[in-house]
Amino acid sequence: MSNDHKVIGKSIPRLDARSKVLGEARYADDLSLPGMLYVKVVRSPHPNARIRSIDTSRARNYPGVISVLTAQDIPGEKLMGPIIKDQPVLCGEAVGYVGDAVALVGAETEQAAEEALELIKVDYEILAPVLDPFKAMEPGAPQVHSGGNIGTHSKVRRGDMEAAFRDATVVVEKRFFYPRVEHAYMEPEVAVVAPDPGGGFTVWSSTQYAHLDREEVSRVLGLPQSRVRVHQMMTGGGFGGKINPHAQCLAALIAWKAGRPAKLRYSREESLISSYKCHPFVMDMKLGANREGKLLALEATLVGNTGAYLLQGKAVITKSATHVSGPYYIPNIKADAYAVFTNCVPCGAMRGYGVPQVTFALESLMDELTGRLGLDPIELRMRNALDTTLPNATGQVMGASVPIKEMLGKAKLTVQSLKPLLQQAPAKGKLRAVGVGCSTRGIGSIRKPSRSTAVVSLHPDGSATVACGHVDLGQGSDTMMAQVAAEELGVDVDRVNVVTNDTAISPDCESTSASRVTYLSGNAVRLAAAKARQRVLEIAAGDLGCAPEELRLMNGSVVYREQGVTLAGLFSKHTFHSVTSVAEFLPDTVPPDPETGQGRPAGTYNFNVHVALVEVDEGTGQIRILRYLALTDVGHMINPLIVEGQVHGGMMMGLGSALMEEVKVENGVTNTSFATYLIPTTFDVPQELLIGVVEEPEPTGPFGAKGFAEGSLDPVGATIANAVSKAIGVRVTRLPMTSERIHELLSQR
Amino acid sequence: MNITHNIRVIINGQTREISVAPNETLQDLLRYRLGLVGTKSGCETGDCGACTVIVDGKAVNSCLVLAVESNGSSVTTIEGISSNGELHPLQQAFIDHGAVQCGFCTPGMILAAKSLLDEDPNANEKDIRLALAGNLCRCTGYVSILKAVAAAGKTLRGGK
Ligand code: FES
Ligand code: FES
Repeated sequence: MSNDHKVIGKSIPRLDARSKVLGEARYADDLSLPGMLYVKVVRSPHPNARIRSIDTSRARNYPGVISVLTAQDIPGEKLMGPIIKDQPVLCGEAVGYVGDAVALVGAETEQAAEEALELIKVDYEILAPVLDPFKAMEPGAPQVHSGGNIGTHSKVRRGDMEAAFRDATVVVEKRFFYPRVEHAYMEPEVAVVAPDPGGGFTVWSSTQYAHLDREEVSRVLGLPQSRVRVHQMMTGGGFGGKINPHAQCLAALIAWKAGRPAKLRYSREESLISSYKCHPFVMDMKLGANREGKLLALEATLVGNTGAYLLQGKAVITKSATHVSGPYYIPNIKADAYAVFTNCVPCGAMRGYGVPQVTFALESLMDELTGRLGLDPIELRMRNALDTTLPNATGQVMGASVPIKEMLGKAKLTVQSLKPLLQQAPAKGKLRAVGVGCSTRGIGSIRKPSRSTAVVSLHPDGSATVACGHVDLGQGSDTMMAQVAAEELGVDVDRVNVVTNDTAISPDCESTSASRVTYLSGNAVRLAAAKARQRVLEIAAGDLGCAPEELRLMNGSVVYREQGVTLAGLFSKHTFHSVTSVAEFLPDTVPPDPETGQGRPAGTYNFNVHVALVEVDEGTGQIRILRYLALTDVGHMINPLIVEGQVHGGMMMGLGSALMEEVKVENGVTNTSFATYLIPTTFDVPQELLIGVVEEPEPTGPFGAKGFAEGSLDPVGATIANAVSKAIGVRVTRLPMTSERIHELLSQR
Repeated sequence: MNITHNIRVIINGQTREISVAPNETLQDLLRYRLGLVGTKSGCETGDCGACTVIVDGKAVNSCLVLAVESNGSSVTTIEGISSNGELHPLQQAFIDHGAVQCGFCTPGMILAAKSLLDEDPNANEKDIRLALAGNLCRCTGYVSILKAVAAAGKTLRGGK
């Protein structure tokens, strides 16, 4: 379907790359406004405490200080959050974790603000914290919130568990641990907010969801949403972590109180301590199969530590439960997933959204089964893989674009090609093995249907403006949206301007998350562009006395047989300045039933199969990835260069949580810099990292495309853990696989 | 705190006389006083490399250098490596190889790579990994960055 496309499927470099290599791209902290104040935040040093009183008098009188604010000064709503609004903008009565915001200072200089923080005296009544989710679920545990410590319970119920496990020849069962992971976007949180002469406010921020900034700032200031305008500045990464506009609300409060522009930028330490993380999971999973290796039953209890606030915890937990059976058909499933409140740093959305966790547990058990059944890992997966007729854990049957078996076939060839490397005697004390991991994920929100809207204006010179609300955080979606519009309108990509970063122009499309942009906004942009084109062709057809189907739009002209009519001429004759069309896309979905998890929660699914060849040092427990293959299913590629970039980035982020990353909490976060929270560097890139893209068009996707950007992370932990387990002969049940942990496992052999 | 020092620095080829505070970092001077905001700030503790600039030929974390220490030095920032709109081969290679995503690490990466290639245009893959090991990138997984630097090295050697 691709051959006659002019721009779809082409590796067009991202449109903002030039401004970025020149250092001209502007991020929020690059902005400075006349009269701008600097904001600093007093944060709780205690995980659980009541606030008896806050004395701000000395800070107020400190030279350079203009405003000091506490919860009682907030003019509007006092709670905020991306989905569940349960986090205090500023804590008034109690604090729930180390890093909770308590008071604000706005001063003429950053230094004065910093110094004044020390002068604010908060009198805390310190209470015993609860940090462990299992302790938090015990009767009599300290209550993080009044409604009990179970924030959410998500279920999947299908079939007859007892009978199925009775029929199973082999049952494997284990407890798995997935770490709390930090997004580690390179740009920490930044917001600049200024009062407008008309009584509203303008926000310039680093954000993953500009319209949520608008919503939250307006709620906190008690203003209509229409009076807040948000400009998303160039954003230095998000990965799920910039969907809670806390910095924006805090800066807005000072701007409101002082009547002056205000900037708040988090230090890296502040970001690491206070920002929400990926949920750490403890997973008890039990999997049964018959002699032929057909999976019969899966039982899982998933406990996610959501920390002090729920934020997106409910949605993350639902996603994990609904993805518990991965890309396999399992007739009988019982899953219970919990988000548990503790006094730890809150957890929320992060690339993967609950899926890497369950993938690690399930894929580990799949390998345990192969051992017991004497089956090849790929063969076992092949026997159970979904196809276009079998339902996933939610009962959803995807009628098309389910290439998992084809991908397994390719993985098999790779595994065979690695044989020589495996058999080649490694250096003494080194153990080598190959591991495989598979995953799937629904594209877009699972918990509720979500709509994208796009506005396309075709101008008389043939150029076009596209307005759509999914901001680009670096992944390249603006460039792909330009490609979609350019293809429909018959123009070059550089004639299309995509505006996603201004809430006064771009319609709200929900956050840039859940791998949804290509699929949802790609469809909306395509439909709107097609509508604009159709309108123009119909008008021209009327003039020419032909059918619209006989006409084409090309480089600003309507082409009829050999002759062309310019849009400029056509528009002027018919009194158009531009032709503007709006379109929406809402996938046909049914959210999972709260009691059974059954539904049709996603418009489309993405699949991944990864293969790793690892080498483990028997002496030190250190792991090296010698070869890695990431097979990705994208439906159809809109931009191969961008696809590659997403897969590389997702894979390496997954490698981080597999091998080294874990946010440690002892009262508060203890790894508070990149010297102690280690993420992969150039040294960690596998010697050979190959990508294989499988294209089986998604009929409901724009040009057959679907989302994939999180998928490249989902199976990484599982894949590497399977390879390492095989190499050392002991099942790895806990990520990350630091050298110390592997060393310990080696000594248990 | 009000004592200032007068320093003389060549920034992107231009000699500037500036008075700086004793605790002012080179990063703060460049970003917040001279408006050279292409130099980024990701940690201010020397752990991320986003603030990398070239001082007298060496790539340094400008958040760890005091402005006074750069007295008499020549400093190159990302704003200073293209000439009249003509991109440096590294800049072009970063675009062509998809080595730019969010772009926050990009200026630092390019300058770290430039200082390597200036010193050793024949740098191999291992040298490149080593030279960039202090520059964190969370978006690209480094693969395309390593490729881009290797390609730029080739261009600089006249290999194309
Ligand atoms: S900002 Fe200087 S190393 Fe991170
Ligand atoms: S491109 Fe985003 S951190 Fe490197």
